[in-house]
Amino acid sequence: MVVVGVSHKTAPVDVRERFAAGSEVLPELLARLTARPELEEAMFLSTCNRVEVIALPRPGPNLEDSTRAASRAIREALRDQIGASSVDDLSEWLYEKSGDAAVRHIFRVAASLDSMVLGEPQILGQVKDAYDAAVAAGALRSHLSRCVHRAFTVAKRVRTETQLGAGIVSISSVAVDLTKHIFGDLGSSTVLLVGAGEMAEQAAKSLGKGAKSIRVCNRSFDRAATLAATFGGTAAPLDQLEAELVISDVVVASTSSKTFVITKDLVKRVMKQRKGKTLFLIDIAVPRNIDPEVHKLDNVYVYNIDDLEAEVAENMKLRQKEVTAAEVIVDAELAEWAAWARGLNVNPTVVALRARTRGVLVAELERSLGQRLKHLTEGDRAALLQMMESATNKLLHAPTTRLKAAASSSDAGDLVEALHHLFDLPKAPESAEEGVRDSRTMRTDGSSQAPIAAEASEKRLPH
Amino acid sequence: MSETSANLLFFLTCATYVAATVVFLRFLVNGKGDVGRLGARLIAFGAVLHAAHICVASLVLRVCPVEGIHFPMSVASMLMCVAYVIARRRLRVEVAGAFVAPLALTSLMASRFVGGGAEPGEGIKSFLLPFHVTANLVGVALFGLAFSAAALYLAQERFVKSKRIDGMSRRLPPLDALDRAEHRFLLAGFPLLTIGIITGTVWARRVEMGGTSEILRAVFGYVTWFVIAGVLFLRAAAGWRGRRAAYGTIAGFGFAVLVLILYLVRKEPAPAVAAISAPASGVVTPAVLP
Repeated sequence: MVVVGVSHKTAPVDVRERFAAGSEVLPELLARLTARPELEEAMFLSTCNRVEVIALPRPGPNLEDSTRAASRAIREALRDQIGASSVDDLSEWLYEKSGDAAVRHIFRVAASLDSMVLGEPQILGQVKDAYDAAVAAGALRSHLSRCVHRAFTVAKRVRTETQLGAGIVSISSVAVDLTKHIFGDLGSSTVLLVGAGEMAEQAAKSLGKGAKSIRVCNRSFDRAATLAATFGGTAAPLDQLEAELVISDVVVASTSSKTFVITKDLVKRVMKQRKGKTLFLIDIAVPRNIDPEVHKLDNVYVYNIDDLEAEVAENMKLRQKEVTAAEVIVDAELAEWAAWARGLNVNPTVVALRARTRGVLVAELERSLGQRLKHLTEGDRAALLQMMESATNKLLHAPTTRLKAAASSSDAGDLVEALHHLFDLPKAPESAEEGVRDSRTMRTDGSSQAPIAAEASEKRLPH
Repeated sequence: MSETSANLLFFLTCATYVAATVVFLRFLVNGKGDVGRLGARLIAFGAVLHAAHICVASLVLRVCPVEGIHFPMSVASMLMCVAYVIARRRLRVEVAGAFVAPLALTSLMASRFVGGGAEPGEGIKSFLLPFHVTANLVGVALFGLAFSAAALYLAQERFVKSKRIDGMSRRLPPLDALDRAEHRFLLAGFPLLTIGIITGTVWARRVEMGGTSEILRAVFGYVTWFVIAGVLFLRAAAGWRGRRAAYGTIAGFGFAVLVLILYLVRKEPAPAVAAISAPASGVVTPAVLP
């Protein structure tokens, strides 16, 4: 597994916004990623605080080489995404994780342990959206899909077994706290939401409670009206933004616009009409909606998503105990996952062993059916084949079970090597991630279907 | 009533203001202590002691506390504390005590130790004098509070602009509360200052205005009025709020303080009271000068 991306920990918002991708471009992005020969599966996660590609490298003779190639492929895709000239230009901002560290990262992200606001609930929904988009684009098939599902389980456990999500603290509630720092009581303030998406809804929930009135300004008036109606507010189309800004005190911008919706010139005009009355703008969109130059104007304050970090730091201190408890859950889940994944390491050996056993038996049966057992009817031949299958399963059940048990507690390398040596099996792949590809042919009951060799021998069976 | 009582009250008042200053500064710097209760109560207690000191000292010296400059200056700082105690909760400016306490202390000390002592001469005494002094000094007391709010506003605004909203910033009142408090104190003080300026102008026509000090006092007095008037007008007409208004308020208060300093340091002999008011004599009471 490989994860490459940028987050609030590694890059400021003006860098992150360049990588951000809306849902409308995800299919194309995922298609480009999975078209790369180095990547087997891929998922693209784009939130306010992070943009990252989670991928499964295509198997190769060497795991390290496969991982390196996959990382390179992702970096090139990200380079193309932002139109940079070289992959090296990105290295300052990108982080990379592979193997168990990557899986731990995915678990922590889904459980909101890597979020700017610890325990905030939105991230799980965002990971689910990214997952759905990847499934719809055919970019997820088996191993990565299973890993993300496991991440959902981890997130649920963290939410139910710890207090990390209690009394939270979303970006919006942090914004409320900040607003109170400027205006004190919100009771005399008018709140304007620019954009009517999920973040705006969250902001409306947090800010709308104490505010004098709430207004929603959105490109789609219908959506604005729906949101405004929910919170007893007033809706306006986006072309009335200037007039709305004049009568508002707190503005929360969260549109998906790629360009600044609120510019310096616009706010200059607005401030003249407001007679210098304080205007507080919170930009929780990535890419940003508000020109940062606006902050330089008198009595105007612009805070973007990164600026909320100081508030979040306070929040983190209070939640440290819950974080520790959540990390224990992540560790436990990671250990289970690792054991399961190590079990996958022996799958190619199990598959090869079955293929070898079945191949020998099929060859012998074939020879007998062509000579001494020529007289057997189709029914007899089918019964013989069934008997052979049963014998194979019974014979290999104990070694398969024991091999998997050994693999879950260690890498079972000695046993695998011994089997390969004793039965002259073909060379096994190096890791769980490679083993998983073979596991796709495994039955759910744990027994395996011999792949190519067995299929070949089966084709040769006389019917 | 004795000089000893007046002395005792003076030092007790100073000690209370010092204690209040320490409580407020400790809160601002380290976030420790409860300024809303302890700090404000210390200022209130200081104001009570201060009022007692003014009464006792004026009785001992047999002078009107709103004539001259030293006594009224002391009265003004006491009034500033009273106004603070009354308005702090409503205007959410409890932390302004961090300025009010040291300002009151400085004013009280200056009224006693700075400048010579001289009683207003018979030639310049007038029925207008108490009105002039009282209006000006109550006005200055309110400007002192406006100054405190403005200074806190600038500090808070700096924190918010530079996006450092932890630590000290969290202990300061919200920006809007400070801006509003500053504006209200200015609005309350401006009519009093206007009365002071009018009575001063009428009264000044009856005395000779020959010395540089007198001319400067008059000039700075008018400048103070124009600056405060300008701040209020521009706020209403051109939206001068926040930082600009805060700078204007601080400048206006600065000119008012300059006028007071010029009064305090002027050297006009007044043999009748100089003997008991000279700092070197170690006596208690403020000198009395118009």
